[in-house]
Amino acid sequence: MSWIDFSGHAYLAAFVLYCFAFMFYVISIAGQRWSNRDSKRHTERWGRIAFFTSSVGLAGHLTFFFTRWYGSGQIPTSNMYEFMSFLAMAIMIAFTIIYLIYRKPILGMFATPLAVIIVAYASVFPKDVQPLIPSLNSYWLKIHVTTAALGEAFFAVGFAAGLMYLLRVVDYSRKDAKARKEQRWVEFTLYVIVVVIGFISIVFSFRGAGYEAHFTQENVMVDEQGQTITRVEQVQYDLPPIFKPYNSQVVSVDSFLGMNKPWFETPSWMNGINAGRKLNTVIWSIIAGSLLYGLLRLVFRKPLGAVIHPHMDGVKPSDLDEISYRAIAIGFPVFTLGALIFAMIWANEAWGRFWGWDPKEVWALITWLFYSVYLHFRLSRGWQGIRSAWLAVIGFVIVWFTLIGVNLIIAGLHSYAGV
Amino acid sequence: MGKNRKPIQIVILLGVLLLGGYAVGKTLFASDDGRPAVGKEAPNFTLLDLNGQTHQLSDYKGKAVVVNFWGTFCPPCVTEMPEFQRMYDKYKNQSFEVLAINLSENDLTVSNFVAERSLTYPILRDANRVIERRYGLSQYPTTFFVNPDGTIQDIFVGGMSEQDIDSRVEQLLQS
Amino acid sequence: MFQNTKCECGHQNPPDTLLCESCGKPLVESDEPLEMRYDGVARRSQKRNPNPLDRVWSFFSSVRIAVIIIIITLIGAALGTIYPQGNNAAYYKETYGWSGELYHKLGLSSMYDSWWFVCLLVMIGTSLVICSLDRVLPLYRALSKQQIRKHLQFITRQKTSYVGTIEGDAEQWVQSFGNHLKRRRYKVHIDGTALLAEKNRFSRWGPYINHIGLIILLLALLARTIPHWTEENTIAVRDGETVQVTGTDYYVKNDKFTVEYYNEAELPDMLKQQERPKLYETKAILYECVSSCGEPGIEPELKEVKQYDITVNHPMSYKGVKLYQIGYDDEPLLQSVRPIIEDVKTGQQYGPFDLPMKNPKTSFEVGPYSLELKANYMEFALNEEGSPVTKSRDPKAPAFIFIVKGPGLDENGEPYMYFPLEKDKERFSQDKINQAIASKIQIRVDGMDNVKFSSYTSYLLIRVDRALPFVWVGLGICMLGLLMGAYWHHRRIWLRIDEGTLSLGAHTNKNHFGMRSETAWALEQMGITVESDKLDNGGYNS
Repeated sequence: MSWIDFSGHAYLAAFVLYCFAFMFYVISIAGQRWSNRDSKRHTERWGRIAFFTSSVGLAGHLTFFFTRWYGSGQIPTSNMYEFMSFLAMAIMIAFTIIYLIYRKPILGMFATPLAVIIVAYASVFPKDVQPLIPSLNSYWLKIHVTTAALGEAFFAVGFAAGLMYLLRVVDYSRKDAKARKEQRWVEFTLYVIVVVIGFISIVFSFRGAGYEAHFTQENVMVDEQGQTITRVEQVQYDLPPIFKPYNSQVVSVDSFLGMNKPWFETPSWMNGINAGRKLNTVIWSIIAGSLLYGLLRLVFRKPLGAVIHPHMDGVKPSDLDEISYRAIAIGFPVFTLGALIFAMIWANEAWGRFWGWDPKEVWALITWLFYSVYLHFRLSRGWQGIRSAWLAVIGFVIVWFTLIGVNLIIAGLHSYAGV
Repeated sequence: MGKNRKPIQIVILLGVLLLGGYAVGKTLFASDDGRPAVGKEAPNFTLLDLNGQTHQLSDYKGKAVVVNFWGTFCPPCVTEMPEFQRMYDKYKNQSFEVLAINLSENDLTVSNFVAERSLTYPILRDANRVIERRYGLSQYPTTFFVNPDGTIQDIFVGGMSEQDIDSRVEQLLQS
Repeated sequence: MFQNTKCECGHQNPPDTLLCESCGKPLVESDEPLEMRYDGVARRSQKRNPNPLDRVWSFFSSVRIAVIIIIITLIGAALGTIYPQGNNAAYYKETYGWSGELYHKLGLSSMYDSWWFVCLLVMIGTSLVICSLDRVLPLYRALSKQQIRKHLQFITRQKTSYVGTIEGDAEQWVQSFGNHLKRRRYKVHIDGTALLAEKNRFSRWGPYINHIGLIILLLALLARTIPHWTEENTIAVRDGETVQVTGTDYYVKNDKFTVEYYNEAELPDMLKQQERPKLYETKAILYECVSSCGEPGIEPELKEVKQYDITVNHPMSYKGVKLYQIGYDDEPLLQSVRPIIEDVKTGQQYGPFDLPMKNPKTSFEVGPYSLELKANYMEFALNEEGSPVTKSRDPKAPAFIFIVKGPGLDENGEPYMYFPLEKDKERFSQDKINQAIASKIQIRVDGMDNVKFSSYTSYLLIRVDRALPFVWVGLGICMLGLLMGAYWHHRRIWLRIDEGTLSLGAHTNKNHFGMRSETAWALEQMGITVESDKLDNGGYNS
């Protein structure tokens, strides 16, 4: 068995262990109600089991990382799949550190599913080890990407704690306008998470079924010498085409639920042959996520926030506030160092300029500015508590946009190959 | 800070004003990528003509000069050359010069070309694309209309008609 | 209306002081945990009628304003990523339609060096200076002269506090407690039955050091606009060629350019059949011109100054000038050929003679033949009138017209049209053009080793940036400040024993959780067991 194959097994083991750790954390928190014993001991006991499980999972994840490194001869952070896996691992590392400081199992109940979702999300992308192109072939790749990811991992834990704060503090028994507004926003956040899960599920389902649809698009361009060039580009959809690319011809469309023709055409202002595919994927994610959300609502008969809220009683809001703040405060220097300073040093070595207002660079700066705003707001009394929690959530959205949105929507020097 | 407060405040705010003003001012007034632009001084050059004589742009200060970059491979360059010849003849008695700089082609190519046509204005030879780069060219032909004081009055990219050349030369001679 | 600022301990405090500078007694009545920012010291004096100077100063001293400026900058920067920056109006209109046109008209298409964006950065810089100055000086004063014995209210209203009873000798208890705290690296000061323990004061300076770093960074960025502090040039050098760096006395030679591609085995399935470069490098030689620089018609005299293999991520560096490999072109161009002349009838071959594409000689003696080069086209084509022209300056389809004199030929010479490249020979039917002479002589290349191609053009970026060291210094200082401020926490513990009653208060600027744990630990060492949560006096986390 090659090192890479072995690393794949370690990765699977880590994933399974994270899932179990999540279940154990849920048992430690939710099971309080049903245990006959002293609920505090129950929480502690299951918390220890869960932490042990998640740590073993992390060990497996580290094994995956290092064996893949050894097997491929390059650090596994050069394509989307590898990077996302690393990010999930970094989140588990950040969580482990924060947990060792504060020892609150309820944090695990939120951090582990976050890591699990990201691991699953990573698996959507092609796994092939992509040999490094010359500009990536530098030791700075290791340093910049890993440090930046670690910083972002702490922001992720801050986000988890912030979300927990909101779920703890938003009062589901009140019906007045202000409370309703808060409940709705929390619910929206949970809905977005469900959509991400929906995205992952739908991609894996259709991929498992081997679904394919092919399109070609003719692009006429005028080059520098004034000659017109016609290029025919191909794209493969892995999801049934609700939106086919703009101005494209159908080559083949697998049938799905009797649908064997695309329904709509991508608007012309969405450029390029991949734009249609991305729009299609986004639409499908929203459909799948909404269906999943609807199902959950049917099962629980109340907003998801209201389902989780009662289980949050065991922790003080001010502790959650502090955990969220601490995570971000720890992560901020790491992020500054990795995502900005190392990035600038590397850019200077590779491209001859340390800053070029490339979209990815700009969004890294925006993330940095946002979290510095967060830290400055905390100096002001009125901004601690619920406002901080919302800032932590929004900050994480910005982090995601920097990682995914820029690649997906905006082109630039920096993009990884995408889905 | 105590009693030193006010002077320190003044010093700092003054510093901010100066540095900030400088920074903002730079954005408003410069787009200095070093390339020749209308209003800026035309970069000097020292080139040989077909007879081996040296010509410097500075030699022509005090005269209106048309600097035309051309090549035998560029059809619009070729088409507009007779027009330049006509202009050159028309304004011969005035303070006016036409300098046609060839875009680093072979000796033989240029001399053959010129021999086939009766061109009397100076044909200068650029080598290794040095002057073409100094003038920031990206397309051919490009013609620079230089005032007697050495500043650029106009830059025209592309082939020029008699009308185009005429109107600009008139302006040059008036200035 | 004047605030009464004289404390009961006798000390006269400046207006706006929240906690007495001397004994710490809160000057404002309340039940809440104390406002401990800057140790309650007055940050700035409030005047009745602030003059314009004060108003401007206050404006920039406000954290709220600073945050608003940062948020505006943030949003502005985001707008700049919607469409690619730096193209001309036509590009936006064609590629993105009306929204692109609007984007360009609003100036958003080159906004990072626009006046308003720079203005925002200037304001951030100003705010950095003024906010920091306004706070660091009072803080330094307050922390430098701290009293050991604090007012009871000061102690009991700290966010972490404990009140209990003590048996035995108070002074001994205090000494013992102090010794335990010393184990945790506290600096302990004792005044009889009162104690002040402090550690990590240096971390308070962290934010200010980080701000200084950012200020240096902004100044370095500004310095880059000074003329000649940054210079940039891109050159394209063909294999074997030497090119002058425009506007300088430097010349760069591409001694050899090589590209190494990944072989099929190294590529995953998805990428097979694709050319994926593994490494490309230019063996570059840097020269400096020592004389005859810039004189036309004369070759400049060059002196070699450095030799380096430039690859991406490994630029050549010489006296502050850096050369970067930024790309390459692999279109092969013919450089020169060495053809022979063959007498068709006898089969005798003469030559070969050197025929470079660039600036060839005009007369050649090859065996009994003499050739005079009459015309030369780099990319041969026939125009609409059927006359020969050249389509470009690059030898993509070179053609040479010779007048050949020699045995069996007219004494005035006969024209011979020669296409070095086989494809052109066929395309233009060389033999047909040459008609009669083609049956007498053939000019051709004998073997591929008599053909020299230059296949690669290496693109190099040459850069000088004198402000760069300052940028790194600024960032380094900023990082130092961040580390100091985020990873160490300034902790202080005050206690006093009054007739058997222990009053203890503790304060930290960050991480109250840790402060409580440490206080609980210290109390534990003295035999007082208390859960760290119980020490929490409520109020806000910082």
